[in-house]
Amino acid sequence: MRHRIVIAVALACFWSMFVLAVAQTDAKLSQNNSKSKPSGATTRSQTDGEKRFQTNCGRCHNPPEAISPREARAVVRHMRIRAMLSAEDEKLILEFLAP
Amino acid sequence: MLTKIFRAVTLILFVLSGASAQSNIPIISGGAGFLTATRGDNTFFQPVVAPVLVVPFGEKWLVESRADLRGFISRENGSTGPYQGQFFATLEYLQLDYNANSHLTITAGRFLTPFGIFNERISAIWINKFQDAPAIVAIGTAGGYSDGFMLRGALISNDRYVVNYTTYFSTLSTVNKLESERTFGGRLGVFIPSVGLEVGTSYQRKLQDQRMNSFGTHLSWTPSALPLEVKGEWAHSLSGHGYWIQGGYRLSQLGGPNSAIGRLEPVFRMQQFFRSRHIAGDSLPSTNVRRPEFGLNYYLPKEVRLNASYGRQFISQSTDVNVWEFGITYRFLLQLWPGESK
Repeated sequence: MRHRIVIAVALACFWSMFVLAVAQTDAKLSQNNSKSKPSGATTRSQTDGEKRFQTNCGRCHNPPEAISPREARAVVRHMRIRAMLSAEDEKLILEFLAP
Repeated sequence: MLTKIFRAVTLILFVLSGASAQSNIPIISGGAGFLTATRGDNTFFQPVVAPVLVVPFGEKWLVESRADLRGFISRENGSTGPYQGQFFATLEYLQLDYNANSHLTITAGRFLTPFGIFNERISAIWINKFQDAPAIVAIGTAGGYSDGFMLRGALISNDRYVVNYTTYFSTLSTVNKLESERTFGGRLGVFIPSVGLEVGTSYQRKLQDQRMNSFGTHLSWTPSALPLEVKGEWAHSLSGHGYWIQGGYRLSQLGGPNSAIGRLEPVFRMQQFFRSRHIAGDSLPSTNVRRPEFGLNYYLPKEVRLNASYGRQFISQSTDVNVWEFGITYRFLLQLWPGESK
C-alpha cells in the first residue's frame, strides 16, 4: 500500500512538472517569435549551435566550464559518436564552442 | 597486461595523430572521485579514476577509449575487523570509429553495449546522478561491454525530430580484461527537440549458453523551459523484468545556476526488479527488489560535484536495508599536445 502511494506521488510530481514545462515552452516560443531575428550569418549559426548543444549534449551533462578551440574539436568529434549527432549538428556545435 | 595494451595503443595513436593535421589534437578527459556507501551495517570506500582518451586523425577517423580504475576498501568481516582493499582495472571501451557520412559511423573494437540509455550515456561517474547503477542495467548489456563492430548514427535529423539508431555484433571473448559475450542487437530512438523528449526501444539476442532475447524501452525528457531532467528505462529478459525512473531538478531558477542555491539539484529515483527465473551469472538480484532513493547533488565551481543520497532497499524473503551514499567527483579535460591555452 505504502509502495503504491510513493509511486502515485512520484507520478503526480512528474506529471505536474510536464504540464508546467509545456506551458513555459509555449510561452517562450511565442516570445521568441515576436522578437526580431539575428542579422549576421555567424550569429545565426552560433545561436543554432547553442540550441543544438542544449538539446543534444545538455540532455546528459553540463557544458564544460573552460574549453579551448583545439580541445573543442576533439570533444565534438567524440560526442558525435556518443550522441549520434549528424554532421550538421557537429559543425554547428563546434562553431558554438570554438567560434 | 591491460596497462601494456593501453600504453602500446596510446603510443601508436600519438604517432598517427601527430602525422595528421595539427588541428587534430588528442585529449584526455574523464572523471575522478571518491565514493562511499553504507548498506545496512557495511561501509565501502571507492577511490575512482576514469580517464577517457580521444585521438582524432584525419577528418573521418577517431580512436576513443575509457578505463575505470577503482579501489574497493571495506572491513574484513563486513562491519567488523580491519579495513582491506582491492584494486580493479576495467577497459570499458577502446574503439576505432569511421564517420562514413552524415548518417553513418562504423565502429570496431571494444564498446559499451548499446541497450537502453544507462550503459552508454549515464554510466560515467561525472554524469550519473546516483553513485550506483540501477539493478536492471544487466539486462541486455551482456556485462556492459561488447567486442565486435557497430553501425550507428542519425537516420533522419531535422529541426522537428531526430531518428537515431545503433546495431552491433559482438563476439565471444575470454581474454583477460577484454571479456565479452556473443550477441547481436540494436537500439532505435526518436528525439523531438522542441519538447526535449526522446523515446526508444532496444533489443539483444544472446548467441551462446542459454540463448535468449532481451527487450527494453527508454525515455529521456529534458524540457528547455525548466532545469528538469527525467530519465527511465524498462527492460525484460528470461531472468525477469524491471524498471527505473529518475528525476532531477536543478534549482537554478533561484538566483541563477551559479548562486549558492542554484547549484543544488534534488534528485529522486525509483527502481524495481521482478525475478522470473534463475539463470546463473546473469548479474541480476536473486529475488524481487524495489528501491526508492532521494538525493542531493551540489555543483561546485571547477567541475567538482558533491552528491549524497538515501535509499531504502526492500528485498523479498530478506531483511530490508538502508543505503546511504556520499561522494565527490571531479571532471577533467586536458589536451595532450602543446598548443593554445584555454
